[in-house]
Amino acid sequence: MIGHMITQNVLHRPLRTLITVIAVAVEVTLVIVVVGLTTGLLTDVAKRTEGVGADIMVQPPSASVFMAFSGAPMPILIGNKLQELDYVQAVAPVLIQFNSVNGLDVVYGIDPATFDAVSGGFVFHSGHALQDPNDILVDDVYAQSKKIKIGQILHILEHDFHVVGIVEHGKGARLFVLMSTLQEMAGAHDKASVFFIKCDRTDHTPAVMDEVRQLLPRYEIRPLKDFISLMTSSTLPGLGAFVNTMIAIAVAIGFLVIFLSMYTTIIERTREIGILKSLGASKAYIVQIILSETTLLTIGGILAGVGLSYGLRIVLVMKWPTLTILITPDWILRASAIAILGGLLGASYPAWMASRKDPVEALAYE
Amino acid sequence: MANPSKIFLFPNALTHSRETVLEPILKTENLWKVYRTGKVDVPALRGVDIEIFPGEFVSIMGPSGCGKSTMLHVIGGLAQATRGRVLLDGNDLSAMSDSARTLLRRHKVGFVFQRFNLLPTLDAYHNIALAQHIHGNGFDPHRFQVVAELLGLTARLKHKPSELSGGEQQRVAIARAIISEPKIVLADEPTGNLDTKSSESVLGLLRQLNKDFGQTIVMITHNPEAAAYGDRILHMRDGLVVNGASIH
Repeated sequence: MIGHMITQNVLHRPLRTLITVIAVAVEVTLVIVVVGLTTGLLTDVAKRTEGVGADIMVQPPSASVFMAFSGAPMPILIGNKLQELDYVQAVAPVLIQFNSVNGLDVVYGIDPATFDAVSGGFVFHSGHALQDPNDILVDDVYAQSKKIKIGQILHILEHDFHVVGIVEHGKGARLFVLMSTLQEMAGAHDKASVFFIKCDRTDHTPAVMDEVRQLLPRYEIRPLKDFISLMTSSTLPGLGAFVNTMIAIAVAIGFLVIFLSMYTTIIERTREIGILKSLGASKAYIVQIILSETTLLTIGGILAGVGLSYGLRIVLVMKWPTLTILITPDWILRASAIAILGGLLGASYPAWMASRKDPVEALAYE
Repeated sequence: MANPSKIFLFPNALTHSRETVLEPILKTENLWKVYRTGKVDVPALRGVDIEIFPGEFVSIMGPSGCGKSTMLHVIGGLAQATRGRVLLDGNDLSAMSDSARTLLRRHKVGFVFQRFNLLPTLDAYHNIALAQHIHGNGFDPHRFQVVAELLGLTARLKHKPSELSGGEQQRVAIARAIISEPKIVLADEPTGNLDTKSSESVLGLLRQLNKDFGQTIVMITHNPEAAAYGDRILHMRDGLVVNGASIH
């Protein structure tokens, strides 16, 4: 009976229903897409870093897991010492720079020989390996999104590079130049940001890590096997706060819209509440009706929001192919729970107000 | 011998008759209701004493503002008395909390209002069924069918209030009032918004419910012709019952 009544109420006021559902949908979309963008970004970076093919990553003391933020404070000669350790098959120093012109991109400065030794080499879609100081390799995703062709000039880091190859994505960065060029541009001669170590056998990784710790105490030594688990929003300063702020804004939107919607509904339906009270409906019964209606509207908003999130992802990825938006069932459930909680909180005062209405006054309401 | 349909529709009503039951179903003692408007106290009821017996159809008449509706609200448990007592089926409403009065309304009182007061979003069927749902005894399809047939609503059950005439809406309201078998039906100007023909139909139905099924009814009206449908007429003036006359 209550189900029928609230369904009829919702259908009886289609515009109010539509506005409320859209507002909740925006709330849900905001949560899903913001979280999807951040986790997508982190997962993408993590997968590409794992895709380098190394077993261990060595960074300077207190360096961030986000390598682009760590500069280049390590002497490149450390690589020679690492190469001498037992079970080490190859060591690839990489200088990392952050390009913010025409988008945000990480550029790897590599020594092709050592990088190939660790990663197994690039898979070329077209073109050839880095040879000249101004050569640059781009991955296929980047090339597709920027419509880049072999032979084209690419202006990044205030420098004109000559695109000589398009390679399969997934080897750390989307852009690769010679390390010597990048060292020159960054004023970081004989420096590297990170050393990727390939062990002769995977099960030797712990032993090699112990050796590196003895050789380079206080340095950040991380196994790449678990790299994805390290890439969480809490490891990037400010990202967790950003995500939480966006969620708080989304909850506030949902709360306020539901509050206003249900508040005006209660005013509008004052006489109906009086009728219910004259029939002997308890306060709990009236609260139940209001909260059930809120839940129904919120569920409508959640379904629309999930659909909108997937739709938005398609549009965003079409426009920016390098973007990764990870929509997970986990966060769909969380966003739904957040929306329902915000909705119920928003409806609780109007419901309480409705339950306390004087039946005689309510029945006389015009 | 009792009519089986009467037993089915109003089993309680047929267990007694007016001659054998001496206890009133409704009794007020020195009933006062005072409203406060700003700093001024406005008494709407000034010590009303009435007794309504089971199976009676009592009309209450009086000019506008004499306190008729206020009395209906107080004896129906919609409003709390300021002073005095209201005994409904042995329960003292004046000593009850708001939630206890709600419970009492649910189980013992059926209201019929001048403006019908049907829920506009629900069809006639659900408007009537709602009362059963709130009553809490579950939906009784057979009783529902008997009530709908009695009130001539069978063909109109799928219609919303906006699709029904005033007379039909009031019949739905009466069905809603009696579907849960209340001890007393309180009707507040039930024909106030109806034309003559519909008024006669509604009053005839109320009379039928009272005569054939023993339903106790208290009806407020300012129309002497409508009041004449009752067994007794109580006249109110300035918040007091000034006299009563037995008709039948």
